[in-house]
Amino acid sequence: MSASHDESAFERAFHHAAERHERVWIFIVLVMLVLLGIGTMFYVVFDYGVITHDTVFHRDPTAVEREPAFRDGRLARTGPNDYAAYVVGRVWSWSPGVIHVPQGARVTFHVTSTDVLHGFQVQGTTVNVTAVPSIVGAVSYVFDRAGTY
Amino acid sequence: MSASLDARPVAIRPALAAATLNSQRRTTLAFLVAGFSALLIGALIGPLQALNYAGLNLYPYLQPVLRTYYTGLTVHGVLNGYVFPFFVLSGLLVCLSGRELGLAPNMTLWRGGFAIMATGTVMLLLAMFDNSSSVLWTFYPPLEGSPLFYLGMTLLGLGSVAPLPVLHDLRRRWKRGRPAASITPLVTYMGLITMWMWALSAVGVMSELLFQLDPWSLGLTRTVDPIIARTLFWLTGHPIVYFWLMPAYVSWYGLLSRQAGGKLVSDPMARLTFVLLMVFSLPVGSHHQFQDPGFSAVWRGILVALTMSVALPSLITAFTIGLSLEFAGRLRGGRGWFGWFTALPWRDPSVAGQVLAAVSFILGGATGIVNGSWLLDNLVHNTTFLPGHFHLTVGTVVAMTFMSVTFWLIPELTGRRLLSRRLALAAMWLWFVGMSVFATGMVWAGLYGVPRRAWVSALPHSAYTALYGAAHAPMVLVAAGGVLLWAATLCFYAVFFGTILAGRRGQAREPVPFAEALGSNGPPSALARALEHVGLLVLLSLLVMVAAYLPILWSFLGRVTEARGWVVW
Repeated sequence: MSASHDESAFERAFHHAAERHERVWIFIVLVMLVLLGIGTMFYVVFDYGVITHDTVFHRDPTAVEREPAFRDGRLARTGPNDYAAYVVGRVWSWSPGVIHVPQGARVTFHVTSTDVLHGFQVQGTTVNVTAVPSIVGAVSYVFDRAGTY
Repeated sequence: MSASLDARPVAIRPALAAATLNSQRRTTLAFLVAGFSALLIGALIGPLQALNYAGLNLYPYLQPVLRTYYTGLTVHGVLNGYVFPFFVLSGLLVCLSGRELGLAPNMTLWRGGFAIMATGTVMLLLAMFDNSSSVLWTFYPPLEGSPLFYLGMTLLGLGSVAPLPVLHDLRRRWKRGRPAASITPLVTYMGLITMWMWALSAVGVMSELLFQLDPWSLGLTRTVDPIIARTLFWLTGHPIVYFWLMPAYVSWYGLLSRQAGGKLVSDPMARLTFVLLMVFSLPVGSHHQFQDPGFSAVWRGILVALTMSVALPSLITAFTIGLSLEFAGRLRGGRGWFGWFTALPWRDPSVAGQVLAAVSFILGGATGIVNGSWLLDNLVHNTTFLPGHFHLTVGTVVAMTFMSVTFWLIPELTGRRLLSRRLALAAMWLWFVGMSVFATGMVWAGLYGVPRRAWVSALPHSAYTALYGAAHAPMVLVAAGGVLLWAATLCFYAVFFGTILAGRRGQAREPVPFAEALGSNGPPSALARALEHVGLLVLLSLLVMVAAYLPILWSFLGRVTEARGWVVW
């Protein structure tokens, strides 16, 4: 190995500096990742409703077809300003198609599928649920802005 | 014989006869040709999907080769995501380790892996092109493809772990007769950790295939549980991105600094990066399921923290590779803040391609942190943001690095000169610019909520405008990037196949450019010695993986659902 002979002063100095900077960099990265992690968790707790929760499991994916709320794609009023929407994903369509709620309403979406996996998203909001056959997932969102989503 | 005590023999041992070397070269070449042929098909289909987003529906003109957008998307994903990287890295890791250690790999095992993967690939191609299995590369049940698809996938997965025993055998033979404390040379070490990471994580998708999808598609079971399948898939589906990435890192850490005219600034950091990738990547797969029902909120919070940790090794890599390139640039006379960067050997397509790949990884990594951030992910999940992200990572970092490697490796394997240095450079720049434009468009369109995997160009024009008119500008970028990528693909394959078939012969072969590390003449660092306990590290990773997945799967196993299969294309 010839490395020991031709290792120049520049190389030695560079190596020395590199080892010091490496430690500094790893420290910065760890702090950055911890802050990012804390920030993420803060928003999760702050806006807890959009977490998929309230899971109901069925053995048979078509079981929800026998529940009137899902069969008819109902929007039920559950409180003064609270609504529950029962959403079923089917290949190439969602039921119900359009949901009207007053501005400021808190809507809980109960989402499932009767055939394959679907992705349920309300554009422009953080509502995003995977519709899994025979599992009902729920998320809540407050529609503060008037508009079409 | 003092050479045998060195951590890194610089020359190939004369004992390695020319005949065995040539048979290794032929086998490596076969792996590369198979892998890059898959990428050729996949890359030619890709821009069709980009044009789809701009509202151009070319599929009616492609009958009967590609029946639908979804057929094309399945072929594109399976070939580019599985077949291409599996073949290339199986060839590359074994070939490089054999050369580094100066030992011949076990050819039967190595070629056996090739044969199993090739059989699987043929089955997959048959199942995809006859439109019986347009289930996309994630093949989520209860979408149901033909048995040929699932059995082919099973074989492909099985063959892809063949390099693990080959590398272990090489390392064992190299250690024989050396002091017990000797440190495995870097490239072999990185290859071995990569393969262990993959072997552990592949347990997920292999269980999904063997216990759920194979029997189900053969009609032995009537129904399938979609959420268990999806969880097993993502157990493998996240680590697989590191299975693509780590071989690219092998080239960056193990070779690039020498190609650029310098040295690797830190050998132990390279080892640490690989070990961290193995430990952290295994438990985080279900962050792809933030939006799925059935996971506890506490568990998701733990996943966020773990997912952030996976960024650590990549950020260490950014530092170490950046600094190694700076060292090379300064040795070449570069001065000032950016002078070292412009002083790099940009005329060498192999260096230029890998440096450009590394640059694109900055944006790829940043979009990755967005995806990992749960609530931000809620905004972009299942939109074009996601494919935008992974085309910057696997589509740029990995694909460009593998292409760049062929620019020196194909001449070494064939003894022919690279067909055209300029054309190779053009391929790399076109790919870099094309993919950047494409991915910018995809990420931007995703913020408008444009869904991924949607045949939007088949919609009536009025519906397309009403739904996605707001995202028109980014979707034009998507299409423009796609067209540039077509040009890049043509340039690259002209060089690739041109060199193999028509490169000038009689070229003196350059030695494999293994990088030397700064301080490599001193005693091995404590970190490198600690990381030499591969068995313990693997055991630790296995425990972490089991601890992460046992609670999830246990809760699903208690509430099995019975879904029948669907064919929706």
